[in-house]
Amino acid sequence: MVQFGVSILKKIIFLLLIATVLFSSDLKTEQKIYKLIIHALLPNKKDIKVWSDTKSKENLLRGIDDIVYVSSPTKANFVLLSKDKKTNKDVIKFVTNIQLLEAQQNNVVGGFFWQKGRPNILFLRRNLKEHNITLPESMQEYIEDEI
Amino acid sequence: MRHLNKLYFSIFVSIIIAIAYLFFSTSNIQMTLNKNVEEIFINGAKSFAQNISEDIKSHIKEDPFKELKNHKNLQKNLEQTLSVIVNETYKYIFVLYRDNHGNYRYILDGSKDKAHFNQRLSVNKELWDKVYNTQKAVIVNQKKLDHLWITYLHPVIFNGKTKAVVAIDFSAKLPKNICQAISPLNKIFIYIFIAIGFLVSILIYQTFISMKIKKESITDQLTNAYNRNYLRDLLQSIDISKYQIMMLDIDYFKQVNDNYGHKAGDYILSRTAKLIKNEIRENDILVRFGGEEFLIFIKKASSRSKLAYDIAQRIRKRIESHHFLYEQDTLHITVSIGISCQPEHFKTISESIKYADEMLYIAKRKGRNQVVSHIIDTKTTNLNNKKSINDVKSALEDNRIICFYQAIHDLKTNKIIKYEALVRIKEKDESITPPMMFLESIMYTNVYNDLTKTVLENVFKQIQKQHIQISVNLNFSDILDNKIFMLIIEELKQHKELSSWLIIELLEYELLEEISTIQERLKEIKSYGVKIAIDDFGSGYSNYEIFKILPIDILKIDGSLIKDIDTSLISYKIVHSISVLAKELGIKTVAEFVHSKNVLETVRTLNIDEVQGFYLAKPLPKI
Repeated sequence: MVQFGVSILKKIIFLLLIATVLFSSDLKTEQKIYKLIIHALLPNKKDIKVWSDTKSKENLLRGIDDIVYVSSPTKANFVLLSKDKKTNKDVIKFVTNIQLLEAQQNNVVGGFFWQKGRPNILFLRRNLKEHNITLPESMQEYIEDEI
Repeated sequence: MRHLNKLYFSIFVSIIIAIAYLFFSTSNIQMTLNKNVEEIFINGAKSFAQNISEDIKSHIKEDPFKELKNHKNLQKNLEQTLSVIVNETYKYIFVLYRDNHGNYRYILDGSKDKAHFNQRLSVNKELWDKVYNTQKAVIVNQKKLDHLWITYLHPVIFNGKTKAVVAIDFSAKLPKNICQAISPLNKIFIYIFIAIGFLVSILIYQTFISMKIKKESITDQLTNAYNRNYLRDLLQSIDISKYQIMMLDIDYFKQVNDNYGHKAGDYILSRTAKLIKNEIRENDILVRFGGEEFLIFIKKASSRSKLAYDIAQRIRKRIESHHFLYEQDTLHITVSIGISCQPEHFKTISESIKYADEMLYIAKRKGRNQVVSHIIDTKTTNLNNKKSINDVKSALEDNRIICFYQAIHDLKTNKIIKYEALVRIKEKDESITPPMMFLESIMYTNVYNDLTKTVLENVFKQIQKQHIQISVNLNFSDILDNKIFMLIIEELKQHKELSSWLIIELLEYELLEEISTIQERLKEIKSYGVKIAIDDFGSGYSNYEIFKILPIDILKIDGSLIKDIDTSLISYKIVHSISVLAKELGIKTVAEFVHSKNVLETVRTLNIDEVQGFYLAKPLPKI
């Protein structure tokens, strides 16, 4: 009976640890990065409304405290895309992988993706200009003229 | 049992140490294994990186970026070479160059998810710059990246200048696999530590419960003092030479119970115990001995210390001055305390406790609210060669308590009509010890009670034998004492048919207290036919009130008045007045200390009934 209890307890502790590692460490790191990116792209916006085309990124965005997640891309002023999807041209678009960034390089302001196990941020100068966005000094090094 | 516990404890500690040693050894093995594996792969990476660097240098003359940008085939060929090295461990192999802005960009990529030529990669610039600047290889432990373990960075140098860096990323799978391989062992340790933790928790809990039960079993719930269970253990382990023993009793406690109820009694007991605790020190031991009696072991500072006496007085005064508030009433309580200052002089601790009890008994007899302590224990004979308690005890045990009998004559008939029994100790060398040598030391003790019983038994034997009146000497305090009184009644009951021959001479030198009790008890004694005589009347605290309050049959006029009656007019007149008064009250008179013919003749003229003295008869061992 005692061994059974210990086993259950151990499993619970293990699951908690896994959950903590998976969902708090990476997720929080990514959340922090997206928070920085969004605020850098929309520095003067008080009510930032965001939208994503994937559930995982939706959850990620919902976890950022000072932005509002909206149900439709038309209501958003920041859209995070993981798929090749057409959206309103005026909205600020950001992608989550390099392939999409290449495909949408005329529409999106940049992307955040993992390459060789490393986090990579990339902003496209031309598209930033189109949206009249001036990034803070700390983000300047991530601006590229082309991919 | 203690040795067994020590053994169990040693075994338990040894097991813990062994497990801890195994755990740390295993951890060490794991670390060494990791380190060795790491070294093997780093050496492998080093040689691959060197080969790649040499290969690039063999195909490119000066500037890898420019030349590879323009020679796509060369780029393709070199990337193919890199991709051959890629495996489960060497996950990514690529070559970056540093642009004019200090950013690192691909020139070659042998990995599966291939990047574009000149595509930027975010890297730890500080480390990469280090490779560029120092032209030496750098090994980076990728602790912050989940999927990478190590990155090996190797400079590609052209003409003494670093033009690119070869990077080999190690997959994090390998150390994870090693961890997984060893994890069953670690799991075993986790289970063992959980089991030990569980066992230790149970042990701690059981120890706590056991201590709690033990404490409850040795503590009196009402007073929070130790109880007799504790005392029993204490007596076996205590070094009594380091303590003085104090026996404390709450005076008239029965009256509190009778008048205010048992709850009030309980309240008094608990409050009194608290007051005592406040007056004693931490290393003193308070035991509820039973009822309203407390036993206190006072840790003494020196062998002749009066510490216990001082503490006892402090306790007595504190309790005397305390207002015990019970419901609407304020009660005032006093305590009597007996002390055994040198308990180590007794054969057993029980004897020294008994001695403290005897001192308490004296304190009670002296009027209560007192502290009685004999610094020089009666165990040893004092300077005047007086007998000790033990001497008297020994005489009682050896049947060496005897009575001498002094004849009392009728003045009219000159015949012996009665005897006065006088207690003596017959020493082992046949010498005789008079009462003045031993009575004082046993007064108020149980030995005195035993002596009284023996004297009464001897006297009744003589009465049975001779059929003559015999008087014995007792104190008023003996009549007041429950034990002695019960003993007298018991003796009278046993010798009912002989009781009318017994005369009890009460020594008059004590102040009369608790008159009603004395009246009641003398009445009961007299109901057996016993005569009551007042001894040594005319000296000390002689009080004519006793004629009014006591059922006196005989008045024995004090020897100090008789011995010079033939020469002192005052003595003559006093004795004359006593005689007249006694005659008026119907009380018989006896003149003691008749030591000459002149005294006898003078007494005869005073209408005295009986005479006693050396002139007529000395005390003799037989009648």
